Amino acid sequence: MSTTEERLAAQKRLKYEKAGLDAIDDRLGSSGFLQKALDKIFPDHWSFMVGEIAMYCFVVLLITGVYLALYYVPSASDIVYHPTPGHGYMPLAGQHMSEAYKSVLDITFNVRAGLIMRQMHHWAAVVFMAAIAFHLCRIFFTGAFRRPRETNWVIGLLLLLSVMLEGFSGYSLPDDLLSGTGLRVVFSIVESIPFIGSWLAFDLWGSAYPGSALIPRLFVVHEFLFPLAILGLLTVHLMIIWRQKHTDFPGPGKTETNIRGSRLWPQYAIKSGALLMVVSGVLAALGGLFQINPIWLYGPYNPFTVSAGAQPDWYVGWLDGSVRLWPHWEFRSFGHEIANPFFPGILVPGIVFTLMFAWPQIDRWIYKDHAAHNLLDRPRDKPFRTAVGVGALAFFTDLTLASGTDILGNDLHIPFERLIEILQYGVFVAPLVAGAIAYKACQALQRTGTHPIMKPVGGVLIRTADGAYHTLGDDHGGHDGNGHANGHDGNGHAVDGHAVDGHAVDGHAVDGDGSAHNPEEDITEPAVGGAGPGDA
Amino acid sequence: MTTTDHPSVGPDGVEEPSSSAFYEDDDAKVKLHFGIDPHEPWPDDVPRGQDDSRWRFQDNPKLARMAELKIAFCWILTLLAGIGFAVTYVVGGQTQAEGALLAVGFLGMGVGLILWARDLLPGTEVTASRGSHNVSDRSKREAAAEALNRTIDPIARRPFLFRLLGLVGGVFGLAALFPIASLGDRPHRSLYKTAWGPGVRVVDQDNQPLKPSDIKVNGILTVFPENGIDDAQSSTVLINLGNAPFDVRPGTQGWNIGGLVAFSKICTHAGCPVGLYNSTTHQLVCPCHQSTFDVLKGCNPVFGPASRSLPQLPLAVDTEGYLISSKGYQEPVGPGFWNRA
Amino acid sequence: MTRTRKIVRRVLRGRGTGRRVLAGPAVVLALGVAAFAFMALTGGAARGADATVSTSPQDIAAGEQLYAAHCQSCHGVNGVGGTNGSPQLITAGAAAADFYISTGRMPLNNPHDQALRHHSYFDAAQTRQLVAYINALPQINHVAATGPGIPTVAPLCTSPGTPSGCVNLSDGERYFSLNCAQCHQAAGSGGMLSKGNVIPSLHNASLTQVAEAVRVGPMPMPVFGSGQLSNQQVSAIAQYVQYLHNPTNAGGLGISHFGPIAEGFVGIVLGFGILLLASRLIGNRG
Repeated sequence: MSTTEERLAAQKRLKYEKAGLDAIDDRLGSSGFLQKALDKIFPDHWSFMVGEIAMYCFVVLLITGVYLALYYVPSASDIVYHPTPGHGYMPLAGQHMSEAYKSVLDITFNVRAGLIMRQMHHWAAVVFMAAIAFHLCRIFFTGAFRRPRETNWVIGLLLLLSVMLEGFSGYSLPDDLLSGTGLRVVFSIVESIPFIGSWLAFDLWGSAYPGSALIPRLFVVHEFLFPLAILGLLTVHLMIIWRQKHTDFPGPGKTETNIRGSRLWPQYAIKSGALLMVVSGVLAALGGLFQINPIWLYGPYNPFTVSAGAQPDWYVGWLDGSVRLWPHWEFRSFGHEIANPFFPGILVPGIVFTLMFAWPQIDRWIYKDHAAHNLLDRPRDKPFRTAVGVGALAFFTDLTLASGTDILGNDLHIPFERLIEILQYGVFVAPLVAGAIAYKACQALQRTGTHPIMKPVGGVLIRTADGAYHTLGDDHGGHDGNGHANGHDGNGHAVDGHAVDGHAVDGHAVDGDGSAHNPEEDITEPAVGGAGPGDA
Repeated sequence: MTTTDHPSVGPDGVEEPSSSAFYEDDDAKVKLHFGIDPHEPWPDDVPRGQDDSRWRFQDNPKLARMAELKIAFCWILTLLAGIGFAVTYVVGGQTQAEGALLAVGFLGMGVGLILWARDLLPGTEVTASRGSHNVSDRSKREAAAEALNRTIDPIARRPFLFRLLGLVGGVFGLAALFPIASLGDRPHRSLYKTAWGPGVRVVDQDNQPLKPSDIKVNGILTVFPENGIDDAQSSTVLINLGNAPFDVRPGTQGWNIGGLVAFSKICTHAGCPVGLYNSTTHQLVCPCHQSTFDVLKGCNPVFGPASRSLPQLPLAVDTEGYLISSKGYQEPVGPGFWNRA
Repeated sequence: MTRTRKIVRRVLRGRGTGRRVLAGPAVVLALGVAAFAFMALTGGAARGADATVSTSPQDIAAGEQLYAAHCQSCHGVNGVGGTNGSPQLITAGAAAADFYISTGRMPLNNPHDQALRHHSYFDAAQTRQLVAYINALPQINHVAATGPGIPTVAPLCTSPGTPSGCVNLSDGERYFSLNCAQCHQAAGSGGMLSKGNVIPSLHNASLTQVAEAVRVGPMPMPVFGSGQLSNQQVSAIAQYVQYLHNPTNAGGLGISHFGPIAEGFVGIVLGFGILLLASRLIGNRG
């Protein structure tokens, strides 16, 4: 196959390559690091890519954001809009509006390719938060936050907070009717904080609501403060992952002390680059084909004007829902009052985030598990944690639904009064029910040993009409007669320690060495198994 | 790329570093998952260049050629999309075309890269030891502690200086926070005030004065103090209840003109404009959080998170027959705050 | 609105069927085609209505017959009102009659239900006759007419030749957003009012119907008299609502203009969903 010329060419290429590397190494001494980096192994389960999706959304946000920032005018000063036919949005001709709003109209209608950039930017933010939320769930349900990765859990949550605030500040910049209404609500929430509320609100807004200082300040916050925070936190996040190496799901041949996957170069890097392309492509498709935030239809903001269906972007929806569902309580005494928005707008998210930050500690306390882990939990093996997670998701879903009560009520033909009442009960009932179902489901899954969506590792067990057992999908079905039959028939095994350990009997099918174990051996092995050859 | 086609590596694995103090300290034993036999002799390191240099279609030139064509197709798609995008831009731009072409371009590039990596580039799965990168051994930790201790002891020897440093740092830090206060005005009384006052004319959006007869029965209009349309605190709704039985609250006698009443438009919950008026039930609803106020009962909250009535504006008619406020709002409008009560 | 949903659903379904790697560009192309098709389909046509009310005795007589057959059981003889809570129609006026009948809100089965838009029960000629009859009711009952007549909607100032008294969309937007958007939503998509009252979408309302509704205040909507909104202002609002039937959707599919929650749904299900599938293609599925 390889001719002499090919071999010579290959040698030549290698020569140039080495010359290039030498040139760099002579200056930086970087070859050691480079080799380690290029050879670094990354487990490449698909669910580990979601964090990357988030990161690439951020890349798209940075690029489109720079483009938008070149045209955006962060000013609340009042001007009159004078579009010309074909250049601008005629139905707003002659209206008073802020310069900020006008500049976004210009980006939309006058700047060529401005609208695609703006819409890609907004869709990227929406998908960014979706990816972060999914990533967070993956970390939570698989126990990836356990020692030694608690720090990265905290950094991840700080990232979540920064991105939420970044998203909200960006949503507010166009100064349209919808976002202005959102800012009015935020002003009220800040104002409701005991002791310092009104002073803090005036410091943030610069004066009484609405003032003219907020838009330029939000611009600084959105263009500089939070992007920098996100960039910094993201860097640390990745450095820690690099240092600690990625976790992996348990599987054949995987132990706490080894790592399996593809090397950074070329597989992982190129596929990751491909993911950046795919993320950009999907965001471009959304940005071009699906209209998001048509501010020209909402009109410029006026403090005395409002549109029905006022909502924040989806990731702030749970907070808006919390504000809608909280009962009409206020506390007034001694000449002071704690106004209603404080509880759902400050206290609820405060408690939620405190619990989230504290979860690694709580988890350690619940499971009395202080060990370091590199292999992930299967969610079913930690039914309580899974139940808590599912309950939290139900809680967030309930609140997010609540932020769309007016729209949902119309679609479902339920008066919003009734819907709000249902969701108020739902805040308590839904997490409990969902958690209980999740708990039971975990237990049931432990017993069956199968995965709800994937085929079990190593093959499928089939019982034939005459009572014999076969496994499909692997090449050593010969030894599975007794052990597998016992494990799977559910008689007595369903409740013993065997099942609770979460050892799918299917594991035998992938033993690889063909040795047959009986289930009783399996129960004792974890205790004596130790850390593998190294411990022996 | 599935777990089952991991490389068949030889049993020449490097021995696990058992010196990891980290794992020993925690007495952490490797857990079993999926019922996998831990004794299975998996190598912890794969000698580089031996097993991971193979690529998927190495032994099948025909499939490799096919893969090459597929990848080329994807990338040429990207090329065409790129040209198309440039042309679209030059001829004037069209958002949908731009989006579709960018999407095709990016996706073509991405899919091509995926196929390239999967089919034509080396990269079977490899296994390696995690090593002890997560943790340092005992001697290194002790060395670090010693290095740090170089200063701690001397500091502890001078507790006075240490405490003074803390005090100075605290005070100086607090002092440095003072400029935050220049971010905004002090609220003073501004949250209690509106642009309404005795004799201020009631005007519509275009600053035109209104007469009581202008508002029809079951009619509603957003009104402002004359020349005060920009005051965010002052927007007010004027409602003509006609003959509906209006409950005059104590202290508000004479604030209405027949069925004509005026209430603050700013929700007492979170400050949104309370705009939705149901002329059948005479309720005002806030579109933000669905607080509902019964206009017949002095805009008492009957549903939703608001806990206070909308403040009522006392109405009167001046000598020319135009609507005025006989005095301003008698309580702070809008949402609550610490000093409000 | 439903058409948008159907297309979104179709797009979603299309995505689910194939997992082949090369399906990506195809899906994107399909999305593009769907978007263009949608935009081509939604070219709305405005329905004009006749602002004049017939006073011919024949029309009034024919209207009386229709009234007796379809309305009298609730609204009483000569519109004096019914015992079941149905209002009197003597001073309702032509605008109310035309609005309720031409939008199919009347006849209504249960007088306690909220009257909502339906297919019109009467054809154009019958509507004209009924309106003529109800318009004549004050005369028949010998009382003064107080109900608003059918308003005339001024044309848009589009070309230099448009007559004076024309209105522009910008004014319409301004008055609409202050007086209407709080209930009907900024893009006229409708919403919900207290006690389960539906706030209808305005996307089917004709110019005249919008103006009539403003003047009449069909329950539970409030009334806007000429002291609140001038005829010019009402015309501007009506023209803007007409524009909202098919507004500038420069960004692509409008997603019903329902705002961030709907957009979030699309972003999560469609955008993030596709990316999840992509990561499953790229990553290890073990």
